[in-house]
Amino acid sequence: MTTLEVTDLGVKFGEREILKNLSLTIPSGSYAALLGPSGCGKTTLLRTIAGLIRPSSGAIRFGKKLVSVSSLVLPPHKRNIGYLPQEDGLFPHLTVGENIGFALTRNVQVLERKAIIEEMMDLVGLNGFENRKPHELSGGQQTRVALARALATKPAIVLLDEPFSNLDQALRADVSEEVVALLKRTKTTSLMVTHDREDALVSADVIALMREGHVVQFGTPENVYMQPISAEIAESTGDVIELPAKRFKGGRLVSPLHGVASRAAASAKTQKAELGTLLIRPEEIKVHTPSRKYPKAIIREIHYYGHDAILDLEISGLRKNLRVRVGGPISYKVGSTVGVEHFGPIRWVSR
Amino acid sequence: MTSLDPARVLKRESPNDSKTSPLLIIAGFMALFIVALPLFYLTKRALQIDAETLRIVFWRFKSAEILITTISLSVGTAMIATLLGIGIAWSLNSVALPGLGLIRALVILPIAIPSYVFAYAWLSLGFLPKGFLAALLVLTLTTTPYVTLAALATFQRVDSSQIDVAQTLGLNQIETFRRVTFPQIRNAVAAGSLLVALYVLSDFGAVSLLGVDTFTRAIQNTYQGSFDRSSASILALPLVAISSLVIYAESSTRQRSRVFTSSVRIVKRAPFNRSNRAKFLALTFIFVYLSVALIMPLSLLINRFISRPKPIDVAALIQASISTISVSLLGAFFALLLALPVAVLAARRSRLGLWSERGVLLVHALPGIVMGLALVSFGSDFPTVYQTLGLLAFAYAILFLARSVGSTRTSIAKVPKNLTEIAATLGQNRSKIFLRVTLPIAAPGVLAGTLLVFLSAMKELPATLMLRPTGFETLATEIWNNTAIFRFSEAAPYALLLIVIAAIPTFLISRPDRDFEKGGY
Repeated sequence: MTTLEVTDLGVKFGEREILKNLSLTIPSGSYAALLGPSGCGKTTLLRTIAGLIRPSSGAIRFGKKLVSVSSLVLPPHKRNIGYLPQEDGLFPHLTVGENIGFALTRNVQVLERKAIIEEMMDLVGLNGFENRKPHELSGGQQTRVALARALATKPAIVLLDEPFSNLDQALRADVSEEVVALLKRTKTTSLMVTHDREDALVSADVIALMREGHVVQFGTPENVYMQPISAEIAESTGDVIELPAKRFKGGRLVSPLHGVASRAAASAKTQKAELGTLLIRPEEIKVHTPSRKYPKAIIREIHYYGHDAILDLEISGLRKNLRVRVGGPISYKVGSTVGVEHFGPIRWVSR
Repeated sequence: MTSLDPARVLKRESPNDSKTSPLLIIAGFMALFIVALPLFYLTKRALQIDAETLRIVFWRFKSAEILITTISLSVGTAMIATLLGIGIAWSLNSVALPGLGLIRALVILPIAIPSYVFAYAWLSLGFLPKGFLAALLVLTLTTTPYVTLAALATFQRVDSSQIDVAQTLGLNQIETFRRVTFPQIRNAVAAGSLLVALYVLSDFGAVSLLGVDTFTRAIQNTYQGSFDRSSASILALPLVAISSLVIYAESSTRQRSRVFTSSVRIVKRAPFNRSNRAKFLALTFIFVYLSVALIMPLSLLINRFISRPKPIDVAALIQASISTISVSLLGAFFALLLALPVAVLAARRSRLGLWSERGVLLVHALPGIVMGLALVSFGSDFPTVYQTLGLLAFAYAILFLARSVGSTRTSIAKVPKNLTEIAATLGQNRSKIFLRVTLPIAAPGVLAGTLLVFLSAMKELPATLMLRPTGFETLATEIWNNTAIFRFSEAAPYALLLIVIAAIPTFLISRPDRDFEKGGY
């Protein structure tokens, strides 16, 4: 049961500031994801927490224990962490059993060591593989051995650096699900670096969105997906439509998708209106048969995925086509006219 | 994340790299000190000479002539060996030859024949001429494998898709080689050629037997004629200077050759040429090389061995083998002890490591005879170690340390960084990480480097002659003693045995399938 707390952390490589006054608290026992584009500093943050990079400022606490302040930076081997790098990093010269028991030499009896290795192999479902060498295992099995090795010392915190990126697509979801379930079952505080937004949304309890060395938003998956603080941030958790709009006093909206029926009336009144942007998720727009109730759009392109489809819609008043996700067994034709309706929550970003 | 992530690119930022254990630093300084010792004694001895003697030495020994002979022999050998080596490597890499694995091992094997053994075989025939051309031929044939090895290794790294593209762009096979393949192998092959040049500069046995006046022979004559160590040391200095230049050129071209191939990608092997004409030409070429470089000397030795008038002195033979193996093993062990700290420091790119590595390289430029001379001077200051097995083994260790350091450094640097990081997160401190992760994974390379020292030490002649304890005979000295007085038949069993012993590590090292990355554990 350990909270991970990072306060005002700064990391510099020469003159370059990679992390700037970064603060982050991962609640005890939760599975957190660090999500951001390449080069935003998420791997650097993870490695700094592991003790592999020396920070230039700030503090890191595991529970109540300080592991890193300016005067004292604990080396990695004194932090009691589990670390899963991008590549599994299994020791090629050791067997599966020796890999798992790698950290169990000091102060651990031979019998106890054996028992822990057994337990770990049980945990990851690899009984009977003890004497294999890493290269004799499949990719998924290697990842599970790496996890067992990381968990063998019952670490307070587990750090995962894009742990499943080496696995092929089909295997990835399964292994990821297993690993996350296991970490949650053992109530280990975990932090995973990823650039795969679906991976983060599906598996994490909390997500920290990173940009240019900062955590820009932190919250539950639903929270960061539904209430992004900017268009750019919204982009990092899913596709987003930026719709130019006007907002009148009292909250009434006018945009290519809103207030069509009363547009004439609204513009007639010289009411004060605020210009801004509406952030809309593609699945928050419904497509209807054309009628007077809804703004009209012309289907310009159809991207068919089987279980659903994305339509590129041309709509008057918008320069860019609107990308809309539609499900179900409805058939569309390029060139035909449809009516569109926005039904999701209003996310207003002022200009 | 991509490899461009700053956390991975700027590896030196990690705190793991910033602190080096004091023990390692002490070991590094020790190695640096030990390596500097022969250079110090050589200079010290040379400085003791007076102006008059200096004039006599350079006048009497016609040093300008010696210089020209030495350099032309070295350059000539390197050039011919380069052409031969590229030709052999190209044939092996591009033509579908039957028995490829065997041929590959055989073309490397001439390395195991010391040049003085080859020269002895040449002379034992009785009617072949001595002189510059004979030395050129003998040295070329024994050194070609250095180029072959370098060229083979780089040929395999040239992506066949580039060759495909070149051919679709309208280049024929020869143009493709000239414009696509050659620029990529050029630096590695040049490094091999420079190794050949260095070998010739330091060669003593072949030039002495074949009567070519190079620096090494002049040094030996001065030393033996008058036991005048100062004059000999003065003669050694220009040789050391030339060798250092070659070493410097070699190491910088080798480094440039690395830049070419540092990108990580999957290399597809070029398809073999299966036409009968290509097979015939390649086989003929390789057969001619092998028959002159391998079959001829071996059959001459065997012939001498069979037709010897007296029975073999088995006791002396066994004694010499044991002496050779034990003192060479001791030398290899010393080299391992010295190489480990230097290699570790160099792999971490610490300043001390880079300096020690340079020192090791500089000493590598010392020909065996010069090393012998320097350590004789050292021994005259410390008579207790003079003419002991320890000093001889020590001489081997410093002479061939560069081979051990090179191989050890490369294999240590190749241990994936993430493995040592994981070991750190798994509660291991630096020394534990080294013992439990780095060393076991690097072991094949470390072992190969040690084997190289062992192999070179067994063949080393001049340093052995100068530093051995009185009455201590190795295979090399027995060959030399008998050949010098034209007892060719008596030398034959020693020469054959030395080749057989030296062939084993040569064969092990040159096997291309020794590669743990393919899961060879």
